[in-house]
Amino acid sequence: MFHRVFSSEEVSAQNQVKASVQRKIRQSIADEYPGLEPVLEDLLPKKSPLIVAKCQNHLNLVLVNNVPLFFNIRDGPYMPTLRLLHQYPNIMKKLQVDRGAIRFVLAGANIMCPGLTSPGGVLDDEVGAETPVAIMAEGKQHALAIGFTKMSAKDIRTINKGIGIDNMHYLNDGLWKMERLD
Amino acid sequence: MAEKPQPFQVLYCGVCGLPAEYCEFGPDFEKCKPWLIQNAPDLYPDLVKEAGSKEADKVSDQLSSTSISDAGSSKPKEEVKRLPGGKIKKKEKPEIIIEKMTRNKRKCITTVKGLELFGVKLNDASKKLGKKFATGASVVKGPTEKEQIDVQGDIFYDIVDFITETWPDVPENAIYFIEDGKKVPAV
Repeated sequence: MFHRVFSSEEVSAQNQVKASVQRKIRQSIADEYPGLEPVLEDLLPKKSPLIVAKCQNHLNLVLVNNVPLFFNIRDGPYMPTLRLLHQYPNIMKKLQVDRGAIRFVLAGANIMCPGLTSPGGVLDDEVGAETPVAIMAEGKQHALAIGFTKMSAKDIRTINKGIGIDNMHYLNDGLWKMERLD
Repeated sequence: MAEKPQPFQVLYCGVCGLPAEYCEFGPDFEKCKPWLIQNAPDLYPDLVKEAGSKEADKVSDQLSSTSISDAGSSKPKEEVKRLPGGKIKKKEKPEIIIEKMTRNKRKCITTVKGLELFGVKLNDASKKLGKKFATGASVVKGPTEKEQIDVQGDIFYDIVDFITETWPDVPENAIYFIEDGKKVPAV
């Protein structure tokens, strides 16, 4: 999703959003990640201005104090950036890939089903299709990517072929490198 | 309101910026190693052991060759940028490429690529070009995210002299034309 060379040049417009839009964003983030609710006030203070940066490919970044915290595509669900997810690792459903897949995921590849069903992978059966998930790795403590499931966990297990999760955001991609957006 | 979960602190590598445990999959594991040994020795136990043995080697080396200064070891290593997947990225030789595109049969646009590689400010350059040739000249985003200058009109033959005169840093043999899809040196 994000190129390795994704940079501030691809941001076409940065707007401070209206209070109503800000409320809407807050609401949808709170709905999506109930675990985040207690700290939401710290992350997205009601008082401080919220900036939404529009980028190419219908991508929106939610910035607070110039730090990207969430992103979404078109009107899709908001997903936290990896830096945020590392701080609050339990807010998303987690799926784990085996060790062999790490290399490819970090190069931006989508997650194939066999990487999730193999002995090193872990599937959470509650995960449905088209939900944002954190992608963990075998033997690692932290998430290495954020994905958007293409099929439900059950389907991944039964079909076991092709792309299971779309890779949205991974370590060392453009968004990861963009710690601040000015 | 529930108890606030504390933000989790993740150890990020000081060299490549990844969480330390992912350094081994990062762009340059070799460079991260010293940092890892110092800051996260428990993550890579093998590494510390390896470093320990290396240290021992060094000491024995020094003992055996105290008279020889370590001029050899301080030789600057050639930097090779590695792309993901282990491909080696060649360092690009700075060159200027001039191309002519025809539009409307008798009108054309000359594009100049690569001026920025010589430390030329593209905005200034386009202004100068426009002034010199009395045409429109603008900085345009090229196909591969690189910026280039588009100049209206056919200025193929004057442009080389103009470039070398205005920016003496640019060697004449770094300028190339594209003719029929082939790269031809301007000189």
